Amino acid sequence: MSAPAFRSVGRSMLLTVPMALWSLLMFTPSFLHAGPDSRIACGVVAAFMTVLFYQMMRTGTTYRWRRYFFVALGLLFPVGFIASLVAVRGSMSIPIERMVSGDTPFCYMVTPMLIIPAALTRTLIFPGSILPTASNPHSIAAMIGIWLAMTLVLGKAWCSYACFFGGIEEGFAALPKHARIRKLDPRFRLAPWAILLAVVLLSAVMFEPVYCMWLCPFKTVTEFPAVRDAETALQFGIFVALFLGLVVALPLLTKKRTQCGFFCPFGAFQSLFNKINVFDIRFDRTKCVDCGSCRSACPTMAITAESVREGKTLLNCMKCGACVDSCKKDAAVWHVKGTAVAGKPERARLLFLYGAWAMATMFGGSVLAHGVATLIHFVARN
Amino acid sequence: MRKRILAVAGYVAAALTLFVALSVPFVLMGGIAKAFAQAGFNLAPVYSGGTVARTIERNGYRIQVYQPVRPRPFQNGEPFVQVAFVPASALPAQICEEIDLDGYGRPDVRVSFAVPSNPQTPMRGDVQALNDRYDTLTGIGADSYSRFLARTGDRIVLRIPLPRHD
Amino acid sequence: MTILPFTMAAGEALALGFATGPVCVATCGPVVVPWMLAQSEGVRRHGLQLGLFMTARLTGYLLFGAAVWLAGAAIPRAWTGRSWLLGAVQVLLAVSLAAYPTGWPRRRPKCAQRPEPLVQIGEPMRGKARSALALGFLTGINICPPFLVAGVRAVQLDSLSASLLFFALFFVGTAVWFLPLLSLGLLRRTPAVVTVARAAALLLACWYGFSGVLVLIERVIYG
Repeated sequence: MSAPAFRSVGRSMLLTVPMALWSLLMFTPSFLHAGPDSRIACGVVAAFMTVLFYQMMRTGTTYRWRRYFFVALGLLFPVGFIASLVAVRGSMSIPIERMVSGDTPFCYMVTPMLIIPAALTRTLIFPGSILPTASNPHSIAAMIGIWLAMTLVLGKAWCSYACFFGGIEEGFAALPKHARIRKLDPRFRLAPWAILLAVVLLSAVMFEPVYCMWLCPFKTVTEFPAVRDAETALQFGIFVALFLGLVVALPLLTKKRTQCGFFCPFGAFQSLFNKINVFDIRFDRTKCVDCGSCRSACPTMAITAESVREGKTLLNCMKCGACVDSCKKDAAVWHVKGTAVAGKPERARLLFLYGAWAMATMFGGSVLAHGVATLIHFVARN
Repeated sequence: MRKRILAVAGYVAAALTLFVALSVPFVLMGGIAKAFAQAGFNLAPVYSGGTVARTIERNGYRIQVYQPVRPRPFQNGEPFVQVAFVPASALPAQICEEIDLDGYGRPDVRVSFAVPSNPQTPMRGDVQALNDRYDTLTGIGADSYSRFLARTGDRIVLRIPLPRHD
Repeated sequence: MTILPFTMAAGEALALGFATGPVCVATCGPVVVPWMLAQSEGVRRHGLQLGLFMTARLTGYLLFGAAVWLAGAAIPRAWTGRSWLLGAVQVLLAVSLAAYPTGWPRRRPKCAQRPEPLVQIGEPMRGKARSALALGFLTGINICPPFLVAGVRAVQLDSLSASLLFFALFFVGTAVWFLPLLSLGLLRRTPAVVTVARAAALLLACWYGFSGVLVLIERVIYG
């Protein structure tokens, strides 16, 4: 079903111009200095991001177009990442030499576990390097810089516009027409907080990133400690089981982002930044008829009947726009804190989207380009 | 009046957020990274090997003996002491060195290994204990954080387990 | 064996305790923090519960201090019995941590009363003295390296009472670092906070149980 037109072609294009210019700005340096594969990839991705934004302007909806980008990110990040690993060291597994040499790329999901050991002992419990090196550009300082800077703009919307893992399960959740499991215990959405508390405390005791060593499902599609004994074999088994369960099977059965909403401790940590972010989603009580379509649409159960009565979402709202686009009464609206609810929702949406899409293009776009370039290189070589 | 002030503040904050977004790739993320790098953090010793205790100069290369690294109360792993041979590119084809690990002026171990010409080649070496404080190890490679011999970058890193009761 | 003047030892006990306090808080954190968060709010209530916890912890310290002095030798780090004790303590910690959110052992309900749910998630419970005492004592006898260093010093003192006083002062040095935990009493206790704390306690119980069983299995296999 095509989305109804909300804005004229001319106005939509006018509103898209800043984002098109931003894409040009972000991709031109790579375009100028890279080989033909990367040039094609940069062009394709810049056009892709611009067209998606145009569609957001034209249709007045957000979720569907954002999802195209996000699922592409979830699929193409492993492509580019795994290809790089195989090219450099021949496999996805991290040999212990890489950890000792500080060549492990830093993953932002470790961030909450670093805090207590760093605060108490000034020690970073991650086998990477603090500064970028020739063999590891994804140093701890560089990735912390990217994460924190983008979080100041996005808050929890990181989970909708930046995280290169969430798109995998969002893709699986989108496949079935209807959910087979419709009733989920609402307490499941508190599980990420419990896991966050547990792994943060345990990491401070064990002096290692416990979630990464034992619980991260996405090790299955990135890199994992080389299996060399019973312990590492058990770890790998847990990663695969969690990936198949939380990222593949449960999204297919529930049409929800089960790993993100019911497991990921980094998502819970990121929710705290919603407190200082100026954008949120609100419910206009004068228009709301309590039909529950927003609750059904929300991929992470961030909306309850009680929260709708209070006119707002829960702290773990990732601002994906699903509820706003599903609401037939225009009661769910984008909102700037401090302003009247439903005063100028489209203005709030535009202000949010310009920042969020700029971040998505800058960060996610570069990852997409790398993935596309890898595919082009693979196809051309074969 | 209050509502108006709040609304203006909200829009100002939204505009500032947009401004911050535009500054991210040019100023903000690099600035945060630099500040973080200068904050004085260190990598966990089990990964970095700790701090250099003393350096022994040799002909064309040097041997760095590190402070012993001991696991935290509930941390997995054995205590070890790291020795690094730097730079790997200047090392002779065969290394056989007696090394004082604890700084008491007497050699504690004799280390021997061949330096492969190809940096990707896995290494194996022997550590012979010269007193009963250390264990003799044969065929040590990249086995664990505390039993380790491998080339990392332009150095060869050796880690010798310490007695647990040390 | 050198007999140390106690005045020097007293200063050393306080300094050692203070220096290792962050390690103690980090080590006890997974036990104390979820347990405190799962209780009703109020700094006074938390102070009482933390006081019980610390009293039981002190009891563990003093028992250890008495044991090493009476044995006449410090427990060496290579003592294989330490692994048995560590494994057993971790398993007991797991049981104690899991008991609190599940409301075990359960009171037999009176006739007209509804049976208690299997897992008490979602409602703040009044702090139970027995959980504070159990958790405090088990963390108190958890023999970690700073503890062993204190043991080495205490053995050199000339009387049992001096050894006990040494451990008491060592305890005081570490206890200072626990005071900030009282601020957890200020956090508003919504059902969500209590649910999260109990679920975290259950997860941590699984971790300690798994860890403790692994240690015991290793001891059985490798001796």
